[in-house]
Amino acid sequence: MNIPTRHEAEALAGRLPPLLVAAERVAATVVQGVHGRRRVGSGDSFWQFRPYAAGDSATRIDWRQTAKSERAYIRENEWEAAQSVWLWPDRSASMEWRSSRQLPLKSGRAALLLLALSALLIRGGERVALLGDPRPPALGRAVLERMAATLARPGRAGGVPETVPLPRHATLVLISDFLAPLDTLQPMITGFAARGIRGHLLQVLDPAEETLPFEGRVRFEGLEQEPSTLISRVETIRDQYQARLAAQRDGLASLTRTYGWSFACHRTDHPPHTALLALFGVMSGLPQQVRALAGA
Amino acid sequence: MLSLGSFAFASPWLLLGFVVIPALWWLLRVTPPAPKVLHFPAIRLLLGLVPPEETPARTPLWLILMRMALAALLILALAQPLINPTAGLPGNNSLLLVIDDGWAAAVDWPARQHAMTELVERADREGRRLILLPTAPGEAAPGPLGLERPADAKAQIQAMRPKPWPTDRAAAQKRLDTLEFQPGMAVYWFSDGLDDKGAAKALLTRLRSFGPVRFIAPPGDGLARLLAPSKGDSRDLAVSVQRAVLGEAPPISLRAVGADGRLLARAEAHFPADRGTVDATFKIPTELRNRVDRIEIEGEATSGATLLVDERSRRRPVGIATEAASGSGQPLLSDTYYIERAAEPFAELRRGPALELIKRDLSLLVLPDGDAGGAEEHAALRSWIESGGVLVRFAGPQTAERENDDLLPVTLRSGGRTIGGAMSWEKPAKLAPFPAESPFAGLEVPDDVTVDRQVLAEPSVDLAAKTWARLTDGTPLVTGEKRGKGWLVLVHTSANTAWSNLSLSGLFVDMLRRLVQLGQGIAGTGDGVLAPWQTMDGFGRLEAPPPAAQPVPAADLAKTAAGPSHPPGFYGTDETHRALNLSSSVPGLIEIGALPPDVVRETYVRAPEIDLRPALLGLALLLALIDILVGYGLRGLLRAPGAAGAALLLGLMLSSAGASAQTGTLTPHPAVSGPDRYTIEATSELRLAYVKTGDAETDQVSRAAMVGLGNILSRRTAVETGDPMEVDVETDEMIFFPLIYWPITTTEKPLSAQAAERVNRYLATGGTILFDTRDEGSGGGSYGITDTADRLQTLLAGVTVPPLVQIPPDHVLTKSFYLMQDFPGRWDGGTLWVEPVEDRVNDGVSTVILGSNDFASAWAVDAQGFSSFAVVPGGEAQREQAYRFGVNLVMYALTGNYKADQVHVPAILERLGQ
Repeated sequence: MNIPTRHEAEALAGRLPPLLVAAERVAATVVQGVHGRRRVGSGDSFWQFRPYAAGDSATRIDWRQTAKSERAYIRENEWEAAQSVWLWPDRSASMEWRSSRQLPLKSGRAALLLLALSALLIRGGERVALLGDPRPPALGRAVLERMAATLARPGRAGGVPETVPLPRHATLVLISDFLAPLDTLQPMITGFAARGIRGHLLQVLDPAEETLPFEGRVRFEGLEQEPSTLISRVETIRDQYQARLAAQRDGLASLTRTYGWSFACHRTDHPPHTALLALFGVMSGLPQQVRALAGA
Repeated sequence: MLSLGSFAFASPWLLLGFVVIPALWWLLRVTPPAPKVLHFPAIRLLLGLVPPEETPARTPLWLILMRMALAALLILALAQPLINPTAGLPGNNSLLLVIDDGWAAAVDWPARQHAMTELVERADREGRRLILLPTAPGEAAPGPLGLERPADAKAQIQAMRPKPWPTDRAAAQKRLDTLEFQPGMAVYWFSDGLDDKGAAKALLTRLRSFGPVRFIAPPGDGLARLLAPSKGDSRDLAVSVQRAVLGEAPPISLRAVGADGRLLARAEAHFPADRGTVDATFKIPTELRNRVDRIEIEGEATSGATLLVDERSRRRPVGIATEAASGSGQPLLSDTYYIERAAEPFAELRRGPALELIKRDLSLLVLPDGDAGGAEEHAALRSWIESGGVLVRFAGPQTAERENDDLLPVTLRSGGRTIGGAMSWEKPAKLAPFPAESPFAGLEVPDDVTVDRQVLAEPSVDLAAKTWARLTDGTPLVTGEKRGKGWLVLVHTSANTAWSNLSLSGLFVDMLRRLVQLGQGIAGTGDGVLAPWQTMDGFGRLEAPPPAAQPVPAADLAKTAAGPSHPPGFYGTDETHRALNLSSSVPGLIEIGALPPDVVRETYVRAPEIDLRPALLGLALLLALIDILVGYGLRGLLRAPGAAGAALLLGLMLSSAGASAQTGTLTPHPAVSGPDRYTIEATSELRLAYVKTGDAETDQVSRAAMVGLGNILSRRTAVETGDPMEVDVETDEMIFFPLIYWPITTTEKPLSAQAAERVNRYLATGGTILFDTRDEGSGGGSYGITDTADRLQTLLAGVTVPPLVQIPPDHVLTKSFYLMQDFPGRWDGGTLWVEPVEDRVNDGVSTVILGSNDFASAWAVDAQGFSSFAVVPGGEAQREQAYRFGVNLVMYALTGNYKADQVHVPAILERLGQ
């Protein structure tokens, strides 16, 4: 077990530097036009003046502005309190799959998206951490390197993250194929949501998982010790399968909608930056702007 | 064995395996192929899904068909199908082999022999005895028919040759009477397919009483054909080709071949579809026609397809009755000279008294002006003409004066008629065009032929009909009369140029040619019995007659039937022989037609038995391999590159199985080798040569000397020599070398007669030999004093050595390149002997030069180019002089006396100066 595992890790680590570069590039193409928080908060830069209200500390009155008129004004700075984003890639066996050599592994695509998102977030001044990693969220490029190194190590089995205690109002990004049963996902989402955590789910699927392009008599075997099943003619059950997949997605969508979370889908045969843009959009709260950018 | 025409199964009961094919169909239908195995992450979504329709996965139809084909191939292969199966031997007792070994069997004799041998081998395997019955009469009386062991029968069959005469099936049938019927016998008739007046049918009926008959005959277009002399009356060489089967056939090529086997002419005969006989004509000049010895059907070697051509149709012997020997002192005045010259190219000429001539074959007898002889001769000639001879007489002074000569076609007026000449006003008469019925019709009359004198015929009623050629004034020039089978012809002018210049013209040759063709040739009355000279074997090859061949009376030859005692061939002697052809004893060719239904008909040429089992098994294996690949493909175990690789491997396997190893042939290296090697080496460059003495040391010194001298020559002169060559006078040709150095040793043996002859020839044709006695240093001294002289004389016994003199001071050798007066070698002081200059043979170059100074040692150099021997008394000046002598010698041998002419140069220059 040791040697193949280490071999896989080495193979993965060998692939990561270009992934990192690719993530940087993808982040650089997107970050233009997205500025600041545009919110009042504690920060260094000016945001707005507002009339003094009762209860405000007198020290916050901006006297120069107040002297220009008859009312007292309080200078407000832009909120610059950084957000902590916890990221979780599904590193179970079912992610290590692809239907064709021309496609990336699902786990590879998930890691790429995750690192790219991290790069974006770090450039945006956010603190990022891997869910399940004992280290607290941190800033800077070193975090990216550390995350890449962590991703290079073999992950644990299991398609659902454990509900670890997170700070309230943290942001959580879960990247997985989300093929686990809904009733195993629901407690997780409910548990996180109960702590006021906002989550974003990105479902990464292989195109074959979406279309089920196989034909004839096929014995399907799972990757995570599921029982195998023999389908005499795959083409006859394709519609049923797609209906089940749609039901799974609908269930996920409705579940996330219930808690105000977002849910997006990505296929590994599509370019990664579409998913990244969509994710960026929902996380930055400027979906239209980002979509326009993506369209361009 | 299950036989279906040319196809059979060796183990037909295995074909019952085909009943499992439907079961296999059903099994393959209901047994789905092994499923593809796929790992799939979203399997949870698939669990519990049931296809809406309950059609079980079926093996694809094409795969079922392929597998059924595989099974069918296996079953077929196990049943061992055979193409052209060798049928088993019918019956269980002895086999009767009736073998047609007449001339017609030679067409495909090897195939016949092969078929018979094959049958005997099969009989051997089954332990059957054989009875052989050849149908052609043999040379010896046949013994009783008896059972033979297969090995003996095989030996007999292999020794059997087709006879050049026809079969005698009636006699063969008689021999069958001695054979008693045994149950279980089987009969094989190896036939030539030709009927002979019903005898074949009778024999077949008789054979059927013994047991089942297999009748083996060539197909209709493979039957023998027959060449016969053409019945038509053609002036060209014509033959008729007969065949047994009518119908369209490719044209037949005929060859006219000379006695030496040379192809003289070729003709084609094309059978009309409804004719069994066709004539072919060789359009060849008479000269060539006379050399035709035989006519053959190309590609068919039988005695029937060979027609021997004998003197009757070929030679046209022409006799010239003359008493005088030919080649008399004044041939141009002779009567016969012009006839001989004109008839020589196309006729065989004989001279002699008329009575002697007509005893032999003769087609034409020419009687120049003169007496035909007395009453006895007249009677003999008359009867000769009656029996077909052609007598041509020429007029002349004697004829003009004779009376009561009955050997003339017309009555002559006494005395000649002078048309032109000095005393006449008349012009010499010219020839009128030939009448249409004349044998000369069609010949062109040249303008310059004139007739000065002629004899005139008495006018008569039939004179015009007898006249074959006229002068312009209507008087007859040539008259002819048919007497009996022959002709009597008179030319009304002389055979020489005395009366006419006709005999000088080309027309004379043409007229003679026509006259010769008129004669049919009459068998000589002198030869009573013709002994066989050369007879044909079954394949139409002429060979010495067999012992059983017997002479034939000349008169009966035409009626003689070819048989063991009279095989077809030439009868007579080398000079005069007549042909007995097979065609005279074969009335016609008729195919053996329809056979009774119980007779199995086969042909000789049979495709060999082909066992299809290996091919079928191979195909089944290939299908199995494809099936495996398909199975892997259906299970998804085969990705595209792998499939391509496997297919490639399979293709390679198949192609390598079919490929045959090719061995490259080495082109022979064009190096000079063999008998010409010496010649080419000797002549490719100018080479100095020395005679091999047999003494190794001497030979080595000689070789080194030639190398050294060659170096000096190429350095100082325009002469460039190649490597020196060693000449063994006993074996090697010397003629290629301008100069040969010949050291004399004590050990040399005297020359053999051939070697002496060779040396003589060499000297006579311009060669020069430097003899070196090498004894100056050993106290010998001059030639003629010591025992060296004796040795030289012994050695050169038989060689014509010219008289020699001491070299004169003005000899060319003293100035041919360097000016020098003495000629040292290793030693100094010896005298050089040369031929005296007065002998102007060989361009004044002395053929023999004799010295004693051991020149070779002075010239010899070692491998580094240093001199090998010190010179005595010594000094480089002496060696230089020695080399200079060598240069002078070579120049002398190459340029001859050129330098001798230089003495005149001052005088010439002086004259030019003026």
